[in-house]
Amino acid sequence: MPNWSTHLLTEYFTAVNAAEHEETAIASAVERATEMVEAEAGAVVRDGRVIGAYGFGSVVPEIALGEAAAGQPMIEIPYVGELHVASNPLGGETGDALIVARQAEPFDPEERQMLQGMGQVLGLALRSIRVLAAERHLRAEKERQATSAQTRQRLVESLLTIQRAISARRPLPEILDAVTCGAADLLGGAKVTLMLAEGGPDQRLTAASTCGDGDSPPDSLAQAAMAGGAVLVRPSEQGWMIAAPVRVTGEMAGSLCALLASTGGQQTEQRDQLSAFAQQVSLALTDARTVEAVREAHHDPITGLPNRALFLKILNRVLASRGTMADPTSVLFIDLDRFKAVNDSLGHDAGDQLLALVARRLRGCVRASDTTARLGGDEFAALLHDLPVEAAQFVGERIVAAIKEPFRVAGREVFVGASVGVAVSREARQNSEELLHNADVAMYRAKKDGLGRVLVYEPYMHAEALDRLSLRGDLQRALREGEFRLQYQPLIRLADGRATGVEALIRWHSPTRGFVSPVDFIPKAEEFGLIADIGQWVLETGALQVTKWRRDFPDLTLNVNVSGHQLVHPRFADNVMRALAIAGLPSSAVTLELTESVLVSEPDLGRSALGVLRKLGVQLSIDDFGTGYSSLAYLRELPVDELKVDRAFIARAELTGEDLALVRTIVELAQILGLRVVAEGIENAAQLAALRKLGCGLGQGYHLCRPIDPEHVAVRLAATQGESPVGVLDHRSTA
Amino acid sequence: MSNPHRWFGVGQSAAADSRKAGAGAAAEAIGLGEAKALFVFASVAHDLPALLAGVRMEAGPDAEIVGATSMGELGSAGATDGGVAIAALGGDGFTVQTRAALISKADPRDAGARAAQALHGLDDEHQVLIMFSEGLSGQPHEIVRGAYSAIDPGIPLVGGFAADDRHFSETFQFYNDEVLAGAVVGLGLGSDGPIGIGVAHGWRRTEPPMVVTKSSGPHIYELDGEPALDVLLRRNDFDGSAEEFFDRGRQLQPLGLSRRSGEDIRVIHAGDDEARSVWGTADVPQGALVWLMEGDRQAMLDGAAWSCTEAVARLDGLPPLGVLAFDCGGRRAGLIEGGLDQEIQAMRTALSDAPFAGFYSLGEIARVRGALGTHHLTLVTLALA
Repeated sequence: MPNWSTHLLTEYFTAVNAAEHEETAIASAVERATEMVEAEAGAVVRDGRVIGAYGFGSVVPEIALGEAAAGQPMIEIPYVGELHVASNPLGGETGDALIVARQAEPFDPEERQMLQGMGQVLGLALRSIRVLAAERHLRAEKERQATSAQTRQRLVESLLTIQRAISARRPLPEILDAVTCGAADLLGGAKVTLMLAEGGPDQRLTAASTCGDGDSPPDSLAQAAMAGGAVLVRPSEQGWMIAAPVRVTGEMAGSLCALLASTGGQQTEQRDQLSAFAQQVSLALTDARTVEAVREAHHDPITGLPNRALFLKILNRVLASRGTMADPTSVLFIDLDRFKAVNDSLGHDAGDQLLALVARRLRGCVRASDTTARLGGDEFAALLHDLPVEAAQFVGERIVAAIKEPFRVAGREVFVGASVGVAVSREARQNSEELLHNADVAMYRAKKDGLGRVLVYEPYMHAEALDRLSLRGDLQRALREGEFRLQYQPLIRLADGRATGVEALIRWHSPTRGFVSPVDFIPKAEEFGLIADIGQWVLETGALQVTKWRRDFPDLTLNVNVSGHQLVHPRFADNVMRALAIAGLPSSAVTLELTESVLVSEPDLGRSALGVLRKLGVQLSIDDFGTGYSSLAYLRELPVDELKVDRAFIARAELTGEDLALVRTIVELAQILGLRVVAEGIENAAQLAALRKLGCGLGQGYHLCRPIDPEHVAVRLAATQGESPVGVLDHRSTA
Repeated sequence: MSNPHRWFGVGQSAAADSRKAGAGAAAEAIGLGEAKALFVFASVAHDLPALLAGVRMEAGPDAEIVGATSMGELGSAGATDGGVAIAALGGDGFTVQTRAALISKADPRDAGARAAQALHGLDDEHQVLIMFSEGLSGQPHEIVRGAYSAIDPGIPLVGGFAADDRHFSETFQFYNDEVLAGAVVGLGLGSDGPIGIGVAHGWRRTEPPMVVTKSSGPHIYELDGEPALDVLLRRNDFDGSAEEFFDRGRQLQPLGLSRRSGEDIRVIHAGDDEARSVWGTADVPQGALVWLMEGDRQAMLDGAAWSCTEAVARLDGLPPLGVLAFDCGGRRAGLIEGGLDQEIQAMRTALSDAPFAGFYSLGEIARVRGALGTHHLTLVTLALA
């Protein structure tokens, strides 16, 4: 249900601001506010007097209205009875208020929020009218009068634009930008920032939208406005700072802050204007949350299919209405193969497009009476009524065949596949979650057996699934209990054999699983959402370690691998800088290694974080260069410092002319763009010699030095200093 | 039969002679009683002074006569077009008093407030103000607000805005023997029996909503920044001129304004091909969010039954003596071709065959709870016990 109060506020704005006199503005405000909340009566109490009383009949209860303005929750009207009161301050320092009284029921929070906004707007209009009236007598100020009227007009226009964006359900960031820019424009180019509290106990603030140049407002200002629940005006170095609190469904959610160069004594007006904009933010956020809740509660927006919650609801209903145990209900759990690769390489839009096409094909594989759903990510489900297990399996095969056919996405043919798990309800009282889970388990098993299969759930599969579940717990414990450690592999300057830096490599020796390769657990950590924490640990630990070594080897640098999941984390850049600050390692000593696919798939988000880091001096490297969708365009656009040539190009014991030509191309490209080149996977002297000859600057590989434990690193580094026999670092220390 | 303590009767006539039509319908409504008030609803096609003379002849010199011209009349006997319908009431249990005021363009509220003086001095336990107003002033809300601001908030308001079939040029109000134009007539009714009021429509929103980006009074110039006429034609998939579109009431466009408990409806009945604007009879505030409303026949019939049921339910368990009905001309257009008879039948059933009379108007007045008293596309019923 759309938010009726949001819709009304603009009508009210327009009506109140059209008034030229205080009396008409008040009468208009009182009548509209009263009608809009279906109240019986309303009035304004101003300077201790009752004005614009409406609906009280012949005898206006002035004293009772005065008490209502002071907070009395009920009011008695002769012949009608006791009415609930909502008293809404007009802003300013006085006790002036817009009051409405309703018989039927008390005002709910949403109504009170809207009425508060109405009070503010009326106060603003009245002050504006008063200013105009006073100035009408002063010819000298005639020009200013025009400006003030214009400002009022602009305020209304600006709020109308925002209102329209809210009503049309424009994307929330767009609405918030419209608010900050509208406010900045109206406040004569002030810097306006919307600070919103993140979830969680510490309620950290982030800037959700900013408009205008100059410094950002201090967090303390926004916090003070939130704590006080009222608009704040404070002097700043340049002029004034104003902050207006923002609420969502009545709860404090953030603050709209403005930094003004100077105010020329107009703080009251500007404060009220900012407050009106803050009210719009509150309404937009409340509205967005309602819409989101309703939509999320039922359907997946990308495919239009029911979501997990709705699917389970339908499944429950089907299970509950089954006549006998003889009516089998089958659930298919469908997981796409290679979806991630498409998403990473072609981008999210293409990924979404693909999901929608998959959904369409899925629907074509089942009967009209069956239900298909998107559970999340690349997981789908189908609910088949009254089908024996063989038939359900057949439907699964049909789905696998259908998904195997190429899709046309973003102008090219894309190949994915699907693995399907089938679960059939056999018990009289089967739980829907359990049935879906069983199908999931069967799917997981099918995937493990090789992609593109259909498997029917058997109880033994459960044990395997438990293992997967426990991996998550194990990874969490590993992080908590410090089971991870780092090894370091030096980067060697090929010209003289000196180690210029080290690459930190994570290792996990699990007490229950033994040694687990990063190739196996890193994707899981990404899947479980643990990668940001693990990545942060690597960075912090590596930075501390390298800082220590730099006492003896002052130019030593650190290379750290970064996952795409870390890169898109909103605080990624902050986290990196925090780790370096704690360790005392200069940012120029750190190089972050990213794979090509990450850079291509997260071009915008990633780029902004990388841009920030690059400005702060952190260096960037592209790992596995040449394997992905190497695009010269992004090399030029991205702030890259280093290319790591993938080991695949150097892997042959003796490099062929073709290999060398490719590597040469990369080296020359790097030289043109002024980038360092690191050759990975150098495993013998012949490869080393060839790469040196090509002019490749740096190298890594078992022939130069294996990854080693930190306690041995200092010795190895020392060994590379002084004499320079390239290749002496071939040590069979640890694997 | 002697004069009962409270009584209510209705009469209708389709006679071509206006005097005869007025006299015939009034005689049927009054029966053997002595009327205190008569409510007269008639088409502008009639010779209205002659019609009122006919009514007066039957009603006697002391009865108060009020009413309005219509877009069709309705009563227990059925709906008529170009006819006359009359309700009469009397008995010691009722008190009536009337006032009329001309509407000034600059201050339409004043006319509402003066018509509300009809309640002045009444001290009956149950009271209601019944209003008949000019329907083309463009400011119906202001007139009703004026009335509401002048009376005690415990007293309900009902009534309708006069129509002129489908000419939209001039409407008339009846005030005793006078045919007024541009006026508001108020009848204060006091009763020692309960009074019930019902309000219902039967329309629903069609998505998506639109924002009124430019309007002035009842004129809408832009919806979502686009010329309003273009938007309505497109939403209706209609290719042609405004006149063709709005011809013969088939394309009355109800717009719903978002309100706390549903919609406040405006009927758009005309457009301008030059200015690409459209208008109705009540103001549409700039900045409002509006939906095109659509109604199916069943929903409207259900609305009629609901309005009657609600009014009767407020009579403290007493059976209704009779009912005054203020039905929207827009509903009539939506119910044409057989639907009108169904509506009348639905009302008869809901009222357990209690007599009723009323008219199809350009807007309805009903205020029981809250301050808002003006409506469109509704059926407002006033039941008396």
